[in-house]
Amino acid sequence: MINTEEKNNGNTIIEIEHIAKIYQMGTEFVHAIRDITLKIYKNDYLAIMGPSGSGKSTLMNIIGCLDTPTKGKYLFKDMDVSEMTDNDLASIRNKEIGFVFQTFNLLARSSSLKNVELPLIYAGISKSVRDEMAMKALENVGLSDRVNHKPNELSGGQRQRVAVARALVTEPSIILADEPTGNLDTKTGLEIMNLFNELWKAGNTIILVTHEEEVANFAKRIIKLRDGLIENDSINHQQ
Amino acid sequence: MKFSEITENIKIAFEAMRVNKLRSLLASLGVVIGISFVILMGWVLSGLDQALEDTFNIIGTDMLYIDKWDWAGGRNWKKIRQRKDITYDQATEFCEKIKNAELAIPNAREFGYKIKYKNEEFQGMSFIGTRWEHSMTPAGSTYIGRHFTQFEDDIGSNVIVLGYKVHQALLNEGDPLGQYVKIEGRKFLVIGVIKKQGTMLFDFVDNQCFMPIKAFQSVFGRSGRSVSVAIKAGSINSLDEVRAESEGLMRQIRNIKPGEENDFSINETKAFESTVEVLRLSVWSVGIGMTVLSFLVGIIGIMNIMFVSVTERTKEIGIRKAVGAKKRTIWMQFIIEAAILSFIGAVIAFIGCSVFVYLIATLLPKFVPETAFLSPILPYELLLIASFVSIFVGMLAGLVPAVRAANLDPVEALRREN
Ligand SMILES: Nc1ncnc2c1ncn2[C@@H]1O[C@H](COP(=O)(O)OP(=O)(O)OP(=O)(O)O)[C@@H](O)[C@H]1O
Ligand SMILES: [Mg+2]
Repeated sequence: MINTEEKNNGNTIIEIEHIAKIYQMGTEFVHAIRDITLKIYKNDYLAIMGPSGSGKSTLMNIIGCLDTPTKGKYLFKDMDVSEMTDNDLASIRNKEIGFVFQTFNLLARSSSLKNVELPLIYAGISKSVRDEMAMKALENVGLSDRVNHKPNELSGGQRQRVAVARALVTEPSIILADEPTGNLDTKTGLEIMNLFNELWKAGNTIILVTHEEEVANFAKRIIKLRDGLIENDSINHQQ
Repeated sequence: MKFSEITENIKIAFEAMRVNKLRSLLASLGVVIGISFVILMGWVLSGLDQALEDTFNIIGTDMLYIDKWDWAGGRNWKKIRQRKDITYDQATEFCEKIKNAELAIPNAREFGYKIKYKNEEFQGMSFIGTRWEHSMTPAGSTYIGRHFTQFEDDIGSNVIVLGYKVHQALLNEGDPLGQYVKIEGRKFLVIGVIKKQGTMLFDFVDNQCFMPIKAFQSVFGRSGRSVSVAIKAGSINSLDEVRAESEGLMRQIRNIKPGEENDFSINETKAFESTVEVLRLSVWSVGIGMTVLSFLVGIIGIMNIMFVSVTERTKEIGIRKAVGAKKRTIWMQFIIEAAILSFIGAVIAFIGCSVFVYLIATLLPKFVPETAFLSPILPYELLLIASFVSIFVGMLAGLVPAVRAANLDPVEALRREN
């Protein structure tokens, strides 16, 4: 039932061994993650579930190199993340990881195009190539007619699609989505999930965090967290 | 890569300022005042330098003036007054005997007399009896007519070359050539007007009138005054040599025993440098304190606004970091924003000062003639200096906020509401 060794190692993107994340609040220690060991493979489609405070976001942030674990080992494509400098981490976030957040996290004063171009700017790509790549990414999420709209001129679903385009534009190894449908109504949420589904079919690797069974059911592997531990890691047979 | 980062950051900075125009303006106020001080100080100082240079050009940097009086003046005034006059004969003897100088001429001076032209009368100028070679010194160039000739000099013709202001006062810019003026009841033919030369440091030169020394003596008498000698060395390089020869020769003529002090002074343009140095120092000492103070206010103002900016844009910083902005990039973004903020202050200061300086330099000399040395146009070097200073000040002010922004934890930053 546990989905591990049947995969071959060449396809491993992420290898996490016994990681923990401990926050100190005054004299108290908060164990956001206690002990998690996990492998993620190419073209995986993984949903992380669990009650509020179980460490889902913390785990996502660690996987996405936004945060570093207090203990344990994290290999990203066989590179040891714990040995990386801030610059290396930024570089990984830029090239290898695409984030999608619950609150969209778009730059409010910039157009869709500018928002999607942002990672390309930090990758040092020239303006003309940037424009082309961003246009294509927006087209892929069905927003070619909303290129010059600012976030407040878009619906929630459209905003999230801009965020997905931004996550896709650098062609990352993995897409991380922390409750991507959390701020959307059911119908729009479904649209976004269909988009993820297509991306997965096109060969992308996707990890998403969700509270909702219907959303999790899109994934082909589901991990359940409780109190900073993996309670269950299984293939989604409903898929 | 670096370049696109910089241009991108400049765009971001302008966007941020566009959103908060008034706030940005207020933040740069200290810099506006500080840069204004720098510009105005530079303006006054460059005016002084120009005045000094103009003075040098009249006096001539290769000129020496042997005189009973000392230009540096002051300290030994009583002693100098007790010196014996340099007589006309001593001056003439000196001029005949000096070897290394290109030119040496006696100058006899009288003042307190009136000059009359028709019904006009003018007082307050001085009359100088000199030789025709005076026309070959910087102080002797005419802009109307001519100087007197060697022939007129030899026979002591009653001809006169007017100073610029004398011409203005008597003829009100009318054609002076061929007109007669009266001095002590004698008629003099006006043959020329000396170029306007007056500077703040040397403003009496436009009130001088020149005539052949023989004519001078027949009006004012042969003795009873100290005659000075103007010596043209020919070049700055030969100045030392000519000075040494002049000193020895004059001591010999005036019978000064070895070991005794000179009873005359050898004056040169250097005397004015110290005068200007004193002025320059006083401008600095007043200006520098106020400049430093206003830059301090400017730095605090910009630093404060940058801290506000970092706090307001914490979420934005988080987003940028999440998509791959490096610490250095974020750092640069805020440093550039601070620098531009400060630079805009400098631009405002420069525009303001240009207007101010133009008005002051054109209006003030009408009421306070001593300020005529001020130029109505700011030297362009000041623009460069002001730009560099403002950018430096801005970067200094932005340093701490920028480091804070760069070091923000992306997870924390993304958790923010705004
Ligand atoms: N910066 C922090 N300082 C202290 N404690 C923290 C910090 N970040 C997270 N925690 C704690 O770590 C635990 C896990 O948080 P996390 O955000 O990962 O939960 P989650 O599973 O994403 O919950 P939710 O479903 O509500 O988003 C929580 O108890 C939280 O209070
Ligand atoms: Mg969460």
